[in-house]
Amino acid sequence: MEVEGSRNAKETLELAFQISNLLETGLDRHTLSLIISLLDRGVNPEPLSALIRELSSPPPHSHATSSSSAKP
Amino acid sequence: MGDPTTADLVRELVLRLLSSGSRPIPSINDASAAAALRYALRLLASRMSPSLIPDELSLVESIKRRLAVSGRSPAALAFADLHSKLSARAPLLNRWALLYLLNTLSLDRRRSASSPPGGLPFLPLQPASHPPRASTASGAVGAGGGGVVRVAKDPENIREIALREFADLVIADTEVTESALVRDVLYACQGIDGRYVRFDRSSDGYDLPESLKVPRHTRTIVRRLCELGWLFRKVRDYISEITVDRQFEIGTVGQAFCSALQEELSDYYKLLAVLESQSSNPIPSAGSDSGGGTGNYLSLMRLAVWFTEPMVRMRLMAVLVDCCRVLRGGAMAGAIHNRAQHGDPLVQEFMSRLLRRVCSPLFEMVRTWVLEGELDDLFAEFFIVSQPVKAESLWREGYQLQSTMLPSFISSMLAQRILRTGKSINFLRVCCEDSGWVDAATEAAAHVGATTRRGGLGYGETNALEALVIEAAKRVDRHLMNVIHNRYRFKDHCLAIKRYLLLGQGDFVQYLMDIVGPELSVPANTISSFQLAGLLETAVRASNAQYDDREILDRLKVKMMEPGDGDRGWDVFSLEYDSRVPLDTIFTALNMKRYLRIFNFLWKLKRVEHALTGLWKTMKPNCINSCIFTDESFGVKLQFVSVLRRCQVLWNEMNHFVTNFQYYIMFEVSEVSWAHFSEEMDASKDLDDLLAAHEKYLNSIVEKSLLGKKSQGILRNLFVLFDQILQFRSLADRWFERIYELQLRGKSKSRSKSKDDLSKMSLRLDGGRKDLIHLAREFLRKMSEDLSIIAKEYSTALDAFIFQLPMQQHIDLKFLSFRLDFSEYYTRVSSNK
Repeated sequence: MEVEGSRNAKETLELAFQISNLLETGLDRHTLSLIISLLDRGVNPEPLSALIRELSSPPPHSHATSSSSAKP
Repeated sequence: MGDPTTADLVRELVLRLLSSGSRPIPSINDASAAAALRYALRLLASRMSPSLIPDELSLVESIKRRLAVSGRSPAALAFADLHSKLSARAPLLNRWALLYLLNTLSLDRRRSASSPPGGLPFLPLQPASHPPRASTASGAVGAGGGGVVRVAKDPENIREIALREFADLVIADTEVTESALVRDVLYACQGIDGRYVRFDRSSDGYDLPESLKVPRHTRTIVRRLCELGWLFRKVRDYISEITVDRQFEIGTVGQAFCSALQEELSDYYKLLAVLESQSSNPIPSAGSDSGGGTGNYLSLMRLAVWFTEPMVRMRLMAVLVDCCRVLRGGAMAGAIHNRAQHGDPLVQEFMSRLLRRVCSPLFEMVRTWVLEGELDDLFAEFFIVSQPVKAESLWREGYQLQSTMLPSFISSMLAQRILRTGKSINFLRVCCEDSGWVDAATEAAAHVGATTRRGGLGYGETNALEALVIEAAKRVDRHLMNVIHNRYRFKDHCLAIKRYLLLGQGDFVQYLMDIVGPELSVPANTISSFQLAGLLETAVRASNAQYDDREILDRLKVKMMEPGDGDRGWDVFSLEYDSRVPLDTIFTALNMKRYLRIFNFLWKLKRVEHALTGLWKTMKPNCINSCIFTDESFGVKLQFVSVLRRCQVLWNEMNHFVTNFQYYIMFEVSEVSWAHFSEEMDASKDLDDLLAAHEKYLNSIVEKSLLGKKSQGILRNLFVLFDQILQFRSLADRWFERIYELQLRGKSKSRSKSKDDLSKMSLRLDGGRKDLIHLAREFLRKMSEDLSIIAKEYSTALDAFIFQLPMQQHIDLKFLSFRLDFSEYYTRVSSNK
């Protein structure tokens, strides 16, 4: 049951990550998982997006940064 | 934010975000990290929230569209695929929030990527000092991503304070309260001067006095609203002017117009009363809560909305009043109708309501006219006017269409039909003294049905009107035709005219010519018309005409025209046909004059023919002629025979001409025209048709008989020919008289030898035998000379006539030309010359 749930969560995260890449948000996997759990807790997406935008400067110039940081 | 796990998550996120990029991972104790965390918590705690309804589908659609538009349709497809997988996989996940966030970030990145380098520093990292501004900034961005952010109420009540200040300013700016102005405007709209708003004569409009201190926009709106008052005054003045001063001048249509206007105004009064009652509700001031329970208050702005529709109507009325000021009756209805052609349904409805009222008197007039033949038109408003005329010209001149009074919604054809129907009824009533039309009219009314009741017809029901008119016209006209044909025997009269005036009855004409001829040879002023009338009666009795109807024969009269100097009886004699009411509408004096002309022409032709026949009697080779100059003088006999021969040749030539001409007149002109006429007579549906047919008949006879205006030249030539023939006749008469005398003398001389009582005379003429022969020779020579002269003159005239004939317009004259010159003898002779 536990394994099933984590696998499911992982796949969800994977899908979300792909979407994120598609939209070129520049988020890595870990950040994304944090965001998802925050959103699940009912945090408003609007201020959250503002926060992410303001803190993640300077904007990474490529995709690669986020994907490499996602590696570990 | 009391939940520790949420706080932990936030902290971790902040750290992670700060560590991404080139900076080293800061510790939690780092000052900047702490500040960022504080900022984050603050930000998340704010009530900033998307005001969008969380609608996942539309968000997905918007993302897909954006991807597709930016030229990445594969990405759009992939996104759709991923999204469907995600929704299958994680039903519980707050997908909308996630997508929204991702979308916002994506939009942000794109924007920052496209912004010029060296632009504003992206992140103001003094978050504690200006949190509200940051939130607004992100809100604006959020709006771009498909959402609008509702700003939280400011705690310091800045807005309310500002509003209050504004209200104070407004109050300080105006001396008058808005409600007072509203009341004044309402007064002005009823044409009454208010406390502030007064009618200004110099500028011709309502206005606030210059001295009054009001904001400019208020002044403008008051002026605009008061236009209604100005228009109202105009309409009201017009109505009072009409109903008081010009009541009898303007007529029923004008009165109907006024009453319709009055009705519209009473609607307008109702509206004003409602508005006035509302105006007592206090207007909430700008600062107070607009949603408060003050109910239906009236401000100038609200008034403007209320007045939009009445303004349109009042403006229309004012325009109508302007354009109808000088018009009356049908013209007025027409003018209003022209303005009703409008695309706006409001205007259309208003105008048709108005027109229904305005036109009702007019339609009523049409109804009474068409069904009863009465002009119920006291004020001369109808498009048909009557003139007092004699019965005979009632049809032609008694009633006229007045095109200025014809409203444009009645076509001219319909108007003609309306005119004719009423005319027919009046004609039946006045001229025929017939009352059968009443049945016809009632029948027509019953056939058309309910719309024929009094006041049943209205504007916009032109079809019903047309149906009524057509039906009534059909029946009344049929009745009229019946009356004319059966009771007044129109055809019989036409036939009688043709037989007697156009000389169709051959035996009668022949006999008349025989007995009247000697009478007419004397000078015109010595002829008694009574004697001629007696002769006419004799001629009738002697011919087949006696079997004709007595009533018709009674109408046939002798008419002597005013004799001129040296006129013979021939020149003044004519027959006349007395056409009585009602047929004198068709056989008018003018038409009878034309018949008279034709008669005179035919009579002349007949006379010429008669003369030639008479001449032949004396000239033809018979035993009297063959005995002349036989016994005494052989030389003279031969000479006489040759002269006589030449006479006969000339006579034959003349006879050829006259016979053929007469044949042409009888068979190509008179009978053909008659055949056409009787066909048309049977087909004609109303009196106008009949009149036209008769006119055509008469015209065709006149034209073909060379009596028309265009053939005056050739007619003159024809008369020259006739004169020459008559001259030949009288010359020949004289010659033969002389010949008989010579013959007698020759005989008496031969007999005188045995008789004593003539001895004296014989003595004088003794030896005169030679003289006598000489005399006869001389006479014959003279006669031959005269004959040559007249033959030459005649052939010249005939040549000219035949030469002129092909130049005439009428096609049927070709037949005459062909007939006269059948063997092309004359053409050849003239071309040989």
